[in-house]
This record gives sequence, structure tokens and C-alpha cells, in this order.
Amino acid sequence: MSALLEMRNVHKRYPGVHALKGISFSLEEGEFHALVGENGAGKSTLIKTLGGVVPPDEGGEILVRGERVAWSGPGDALRAGVGIIHQELSLAPHLSVAQNIFLGRELRRGVFVDSRRMREMAKDLLAHLRCDIDPDRTAGELSTGEQQLVEIAKALSQKVSILALDEPTSSLSARETENLFRVIDDLKSRGVGIIYISHRLEEIFAHADRVTVLRDGEVTGRGAIGDFDPSSMVACMVGRRVEVLFPRSFRDPGEVLLEVRGISRRGVLRDVSFELREGEIVGVAGLVGSGRTETARCLVGLDPVDGGEVNLVGGALALRGPRETLDRGMVLVPEDRKRQGLFLNRSIRDNATVMELLHGLRRGPFVDREKRDEAARRHVRNFSVKCRDIFDPVFALSGGNQQKVAIAKGLAVAPRVLILDEPTRGVDVGARAEIHEIMNDLVHRGMGILMISSDLPEVLGMSDRVLVFRHGGIAASFDRGDATGEKVMLAAAGGGVHGG
Amino acid sequence: MAGKWQRFGSLAVLIVVVVLLALVDRDVIDPKNVANVLAQSTVLGVCAVGMTFVILTGGIDLAVGSVMALSGVVGALANTAMGLPWPLAWALGLGAGMMAGALSAALIAWGRMLPFIATLCVMAIARGITLLMTQGSPVSGLSPGFTHAGWASWGAVPITALIFLLLATVAWVVLAKTPLGPHVRAQGDNPEAARLAGLSAPGLTFAVYMTSGFCAGLAGLLMAGRLWSAQPAIGTGMELDAISAVVLGGTSLFGGVGSIGGTVTGTLIMGFLDNGLRLQGVASYVQISIKGAVFVGAVILDLAMKGHYSRRRSRDA
Amino acid sequence: MKKMMAAFAVLWLMAVPALADQPVLGLVVSTLNNPFFVSLKQGAEEAAAKAQVSLVVLDAQDDSAKMTAAIEDLIQKKVAVILVNPTDSDAVTPSIMKANEAGIPIFTIDRGASGGKVVCHIASDNVAGGKMAAEFLAEAIGHKGNVVELMGIPGTSAARDRGKGFNDAIAAFADVKIVAAQAADFNRDKGLKVFENILQAQPEITGVFAHNDEMILGAVAAAEAAGRTGIVFVGFDAVDDAVKAVQEGKLAATVAQQPALMGSTGVEKAVAFLGGASLPEFIPVDLKLVVKE
Repeated sequence: MSALLEMRNVHKRYPGVHALKGISFSLEEGEFHALVGENGAGKSTLIKTLGGVVPPDEGGEILVRGERVAWSGPGDALRAGVGIIHQELSLAPHLSVAQNIFLGRELRRGVFVDSRRMREMAKDLLAHLRCDIDPDRTAGELSTGEQQLVEIAKALSQKVSILALDEPTSSLSARETENLFRVIDDLKSRGVGIIYISHRLEEIFAHADRVTVLRDGEVTGRGAIGDFDPSSMVACMVGRRVEVLFPRSFRDPGEVLLEVRGISRRGVLRDVSFELREGEIVGVAGLVGSGRTETARCLVGLDPVDGGEVNLVGGALALRGPRETLDRGMVLVPEDRKRQGLFLNRSIRDNATVMELLHGLRRGPFVDREKRDEAARRHVRNFSVKCRDIFDPVFALSGGNQQKVAIAKGLAVAPRVLILDEPTRGVDVGARAEIHEIMNDLVHRGMGILMISSDLPEVLGMSDRVLVFRHGGIAASFDRGDATGEKVMLAAAGGGVHGG
Repeated sequence: MAGKWQRFGSLAVLIVVVVLLALVDRDVIDPKNVANVLAQSTVLGVCAVGMTFVILTGGIDLAVGSVMALSGVVGALANTAMGLPWPLAWALGLGAGMMAGALSAALIAWGRMLPFIATLCVMAIARGITLLMTQGSPVSGLSPGFTHAGWASWGAVPITALIFLLLATVAWVVLAKTPLGPHVRAQGDNPEAARLAGLSAPGLTFAVYMTSGFCAGLAGLLMAGRLWSAQPAIGTGMELDAISAVVLGGTSLFGGVGSIGGTVTGTLIMGFLDNGLRLQGVASYVQISIKGAVFVGAVILDLAMKGHYSRRRSRDA
Repeated sequence: MKKMMAAFAVLWLMAVPALADQPVLGLVVSTLNNPFFVSLKQGAEEAAAKAQVSLVVLDAQDDSAKMTAAIEDLIQKKVAVILVNPTDSDAVTPSIMKANEAGIPIFTIDRGASGGKVVCHIASDNVAGGKMAAEFLAEAIGHKGNVVELMGIPGTSAARDRGKGFNDAIAAFADVKIVAAQAADFNRDKGLKVFENILQAQPEITGVFAHNDEMILGAVAAAEAAGRTGIVFVGFDAVDDAVKAVQEGKLAATVAQQPALMGSTGVEKAVAFLGGASLPEFIPVDLKLVVKE
């Protein structure tokens, strides 16, 4: 008998990223198959190819009950009995709960929608999850946890034979989580195959039958749950890659540059405190949404805080907006270079000197062209940006060279504190080493760097100290030498290990 | 809050506008004048009903004014030059409107153009074809049957007003009682959710723009009846009026939220405003400015209901 | 709903009576974006002030739908007379019929209506204009010589009336002979081509009259190109180009309509009508000759 689901040699390439590198995966009837891996390992992409949300590249195949399928969209997958609960909530906020649950598959009486029956069935489905949400409420009024339950009810409302859940419990309470697993057990007993993505290892060890571990778009481990223990699973997730591309030279940290005391933001950050000293790189690890990027945005005044204070080189910050932090010598080079960090259609010169223009490169009220060109040439030389000349548009550069321009842009105002969010994502190996070299050089000249990264080897290799974020707060903090990939990963995923 | 504005806000604005106008001139609420306002606003109302569908999906249809002219002229030429009986001529006019809608939809769904740009193109194309067919001069000599619906009254009630109310009722039933309602709303509310639910985005695009084209065509035929002639220049600026009526009715320009009832109310606000200002002999230049100001007010209200102006707005993580 | 009705009822009682003692006239102007019609409106307003009647002016903004709504509103307002300068002769017809039903007398100004019952149409007297042009032309060429007439689109009222006035008046001068009369369709380009041909055929031409300025300006250009001098040109309408040509001396004269006079005549006749006077179906408004100052 053939497996319920068989995925063979599935590839997915995005521009610049090879997200899935020939993944094979199988699922039996009534099986609970957990899918684990770091952020960006390819778990969600794999689920999306299964659900018809993104088409896989040519060459691979997906078989359901031994029959080859090729979806042209999510509707096809749904009709074939593949239900997906996506990580990003996909409810229409202004439709009612019942309308959302039956969207695209409304119950009808003649040409009309049978609202009463839909409402009753929605109530039943939600009752099955032991939650008592009024099906007439609009989805936007619900809490995130309630929305998650509605998503689950939506998946259950269809006769699925395969149900994939992408981090369904991230916003559920303990009781709701328990109910979810009861429902999943019930589905399993009826032969439904479950694919389950989670960072919560305790859930996986409690419920999974089988585990597949992904890393960088490849399967690095697979087996029955009994073959794993938490540390061996994490080892598969992070690999044995501890090679550092550029050896850091450490120095004794100097005076405190940045002192963060108890900053909070409702629903996003709670009580975040840490210090950053002269000559220090503090690495920030954690899952996406754990509060890393959110902290950086609050520090430079992009988002407001509800409480806490930030001292920068002695004085308190009012946290009014980016201009204040720029003037006080703190710069953020954001995560999404393309959307936030650079003006892609403008030249290298325009990008690299845009911040300097706030203070200098002028003659009277006018921009001094010669000084500006000169400054841009200096940056290109110092950061060895590979380009024809400073008038090349930034979109023509490779990811690594774009990142160098983004850093040069930030450094142009001579900051004391530099916040780098994912400085080497999408950057090739050579440029990565160069960026690390630049960072090393900067801290040697007395700067303090806060480096947010999902790349564990980078965090481990470059940081004096590592902060691990989880659920909007700092879950653990490790000194250099103390930090290992396993410890950081477990702290980020909630494995209950605490460092010093 | 948003729901309340949607349900009652526009009605409140309508009452305030009517009361203010009536305070100045009680003729405004004379039953005959109300019938007058109905007759004058139905053409706008018919366009606005179609526009509601489009805006609910988060789109916009700038072509309604020129599609009105196109359908009127196509119908009129079919009736006069080709000598077709009026029902057939009307069918051709409505067909022309739906084809213009289909063209907009094709540019948006397949050509991946922004609705704003696509319908701007169709707006120019439809107007051009209309002028080409008529050489710029009006088409007159329509048969009595052709003009009847646009011109005649049953007792005190203009037939156009009845057609408008019928159309609005049908549209309300479609949006409130058939699956198309939640589909259209979901498309505007969260396109990704709509896609993941297996809804066809091109299908919905064609449905709403062809609906809008049909309504604009109907408006054009009614207008030709009202004027006993199809004017190639008719409907200029109608798109702005229709969008204003829809937004005044509490439908969000962001899509997803709104209702036909609101659009009917919004249409009446526009109708009473026009009529009242004219009855007072307010200079036309001032009237145009007041209309612009009402539109600004409606959009600001829409944005305010979305929490657009709250200083501490949270960023969706 | 009940509350709303109550509110309406209260307002009804509070509202001041809309109609004062003096009669109210309504004027719907096709557009106020054109100086011609702005003058028409100003003339009407001045006449209304003089006659001590109130005048409501509505602008149709060149939109037949707006014109229809404006007339409906005036009917609703029960004005004593509606004066309308239609955007389109066909499109105004249903509104006029509505006014007829409501028993409100209608006057049309400048442009007529193709249906409905109109008390009186007030427009430029094209026949008189043609006569005026003929007399000026005859005078300018010393009551003697060969003249050419460039005609408008055959069958249009402007071409018919202007031509009639011109021909009747010229007939009075025994020594003035019309050697050619051809249609050039009110069009400058056609005026040029038609007059080129006439120049070929007629070695001696002393004067030209065209039914509008466009055609006469075409004729002037044709004569210049052919190097023919000594011809007196007279046009009609006083468009900007023509007035300029008159100042430059290329054109001897052009006949101007008087929009302000049309507006004031409209109001005066309406007031007379309300006073019981009987009016003819058509009231011509004098034209005036524009010559070099």
C-alpha cells in the first residue's frame, strides 16, 4: 500500500535563495509527523508547496495516495483533502467567524447562503475545540489565540485527509493547546495524517510519531521520535558548523555605551534590559517574532515603547524618533535592506552619503557635489564595495555589496553604537567574511555593535555575549565560551535551559 | 466603532444634511422635491451600486463616466441608425458596458495593472470610441420605448427611482445572501485569505468590474432616456461622484467593509446636497468646491475609523 | 423613523416661506466657463436688478444632465419664468415638457429647443447681421464691384439667415454683383480652398463676405498666398482671431453677437410677459459691427 503522502526531490528556488534542495518527505495515514528546523530552514516553504500556495520547481513530484498531483492553486489542494493552517493568520478581519470558516465553501440553500446552518456548524466545530466563540463576531475583534482557533476550525470544517499545521500553538494558551492536541488525536484515530511544525520541542516529544529535521533546505535528520532526544534533535537542526569565517580578535570592553532598562511594548516586548559596552559585539538570537527586531525598532524610536528607559552614552533618550538617535550616535542597519535600508534605484553615491547630508557635505545651504562624490569614493574604497563606479544603481549590486553600502550609509554619521539586523542574510561567503572583518575593525575602534542574527555560527563566532530572546523577553544570556549552539537553540525554543 | 459608522454614520450625515438644507428652505423636503432628488440621483446611484462591488474588493473603477456615455450611444445608435426595437438596443448598450468592465478586469487580472491605471485607460478608450461613433454630436430621435424608463413617472414616482431601488435591492441580496458577498469582501479584506480559501482572484475581478460596467451602462441608458438623446460628453466626472457616494455610505476605500444600504444613503446625501445648493442658487463654482470638501470629509472619516490617525498605532508583527 | 418624521414636521413649520412678493425668474446657462455666456449672465443680472425681480442663475457646466436637474429644481422652486440657454437642443426637450406640465413659461436664449412649448426664443438676428455686413461691404467698395459669398453648412439656420440678410441687402445696390456664392461649411481650411478656386476663376474681386470668421480667415490667407490685394473682407462672429485681424487691417469688419444684450432682453421680455404682454415666437437681438478703431 502506498503512503498517504509522498514528496520526492522537491526543489524551490527564489531569486538568490535555494529554499528547498531536493526534499523528500512521506506521511502515513494516522501519523503525526513533526517537521523541525531553524528559522529559514525551509519548513514553511515545504508546507506551502504541498498546499499549492507556491509551485515547486520542475523535477520533483508530490503524490497523494500514490497519485501524482500538480496543484494550480490552494483551491486544488483543498479539494483534494489537503488542509493547511498557515503561520500567518489568513482570516478576513471584517467577515464573521462563520463566514471565515466556510469562505469559498459556503453552505447553500438554492443560490443563497444558508447562514443559519453555517452558524450552527461553526458553533459545533468550535465547541469541538472546546472554545465558545460567537460565530457572528467579526474575526478582527478576536484575540490572536482565538483567531488561531478559528483557523483550526476552518481546517477541520473541510474533510481533510492531510492536515498541516505551521506553528499553530504559538499564540494559544495551555488549555487551548491541550484541546488542540485532543482534536488532533481524534483526527489521527480517523486516519488523517498530521504534519506539524513547531519550535516547542516538548510538544514534539509528547505527540510526534516521526520527526523530520530540516536545515538550509535539506533533510538533516529523520526517524521515529524514540530515536531522538532534545540535544540530538537540536544538533541536527544547527549542524556541526561552528567554523567562523573571520576569526574575531577580542579586547576588553570599555565604558557602557548603551544601557537598556526594562523597556516594554504591549503584546510585543516585556521588560528587556541589557548593556552594550565599547569594543563589544552583543549577539541577539531568537526566533522570528521573539522580540529581537522589535527591540531594535524601539531603540531607534521607530516604534513607541510603553515603559522603561534607554541611556545612550550617558544621557537618557526621549525615544521620539530616528532623528534623535541618529544625532546621539546610534544607527540601525535594518533587516530588510531592500525595503527599509536602501533606495534601490538610486546610485551607490546617493545611498552611501544620504545620512551624511544631514550634517555635512554642504556649501552654504547647497549640497557640495565634489565633497559628496569624494565621500562616496572613500566609502567604496574602505568597504571594498565591488562596483564599476559610485554612480551604479544599488539594485545592480550583489547582496553582500548592498549590505556594505547599507553599513557605510549608517557609519557615515560616525555612530558610537551600531545595530545590525541580520547583517549577512542572503550574502555570499566571501562578502560575509568581509562584513565580519568590518565589524571586527569597528569594535576595535571603540564602537559597540548589537548584532541580531538567525545564523547561529555567526552569533557564536562573532559575539562577546549572546542574548537569547523568546516571547518578547530575554530568555537567557551567555558569555562567549559559555555559549553553544545547543544551549542557544534550546533557550530560543523553550527547552528550559538557562545560562548565566 | 467602525461597524457603527458603517451602519448609522452615513444615515446621520444624511439627516444632518437634509435638516440643514430644510432649515434654509423647507421646499427641500417637499414630497415632490424628494421625488425630484430621487430622479436626479438615480443615475449616480446606479453607477455607485456597481462601484460598491469594485471598492469592496479593494479596487476602483474610474471608467464609469465614459462607460455611461458609451452604453448610451451604443444603445441609441442601435435604436436609431439600426432601427432595432428598444429592448434589443438596451441589451446592446448594457453589453457594451459589460465589455468595457471585462476589459478593465482583463487588464487588472491578466495584465497585472493597478485598478487605478487600468480603469483610467478604459476611461479614455471608452470616451474615445464614443466620440468616434458620434463624431461628437448627440444622437437623438430615440423611440418612445427607449426613453420611457428614463423619463416617465408612475404617479409622483419617477421610474428611474424604482429601477434604482430594484437594482439596489438585488445588489443587497447578492452581497448579503449569496456566497459572492463574503467572497467579494474577503478579496478586499485579505486577498491572501481569499486565495488560500481557493477563491479565484481573476474570477472575482471579472465579476465585480463587469457588474460595475453593467451598472454604468444602465445609468447611461437611463440618462439617454432622461435627455431624449445620447450625449457623447455625458458622465464626465461621474467617477468621482460615484466614489464619493460609496465612501460617504461608509464603504472603505481599503476594501472589505461596506454595504449597499450605505451606498444608497451616500447617493441621497450627494443628491440632496446638489439639489439643495441649487435651490439656494449657490454659485456653481462654490458648489464644486463644497462637493470636493464633502469628499475629503468622507475619506478622512474612513481613515479615522481605521485608526489611521491614532498616534500609537501598533505595527502588525 | 418616527423621530425623523417629527423633526421634519418641526422644520417644516419653522422654515420661512420661500417665495417673497417679487417674482423670481430662473436662468439656466449652458456654461460659465466661457466669457460669451458669462456676459449673457451679467446682462440678465443687470436687467433683473433694474426691473426689481430676483433672478436665480444656475450653471449647467456644459453637462446636459446638470441642465436637466437645474430645470427640474427651478420647476420645483416654482419660479415664475424659466430662461434657458440649452447645452443641447435635443437634450433640453424633455425638461421643457416638464415645465409645460407644471405650467411654467419657458424662454430659450441663443440656442433653441427641438421640442416642447417655448414662449419665446431670443437670439441674435442673423438676418439683420447679414444685412449689416452687406451694407458695410457695399459702402467700403464704393457701391460698385464684384463680391463673393462664402456660405456656411447648407441648411443650418445661421447659414440660411445670414445669407438671406446679405443677399437681400446687396440686391439694393445695382452696381454690386455677387460673382460667386459657394459653401465652405464654416471651416477655415475649406474657406481657404474654396476661395483659392474662386480666385482662379475670377480675375476681379473687390469684396468677400463669409457666414463666419473661420471661413473669412481662410479666404484672407488664400488671397495673401496668391498675392491678390485690394479685396475687402467681412466676417461674422467676432472670434478672437478675427478681431485681431480687424485690428491688423487684414479684415475690414466682423459682425459681433451681443451676449449681454441677449441676457438683458431675455429678462426684460420675461418681465413684460408676466405683466401680460404678448410676445412673438422669436425676438431677434441686434448685432454690432466690429471695425478697426
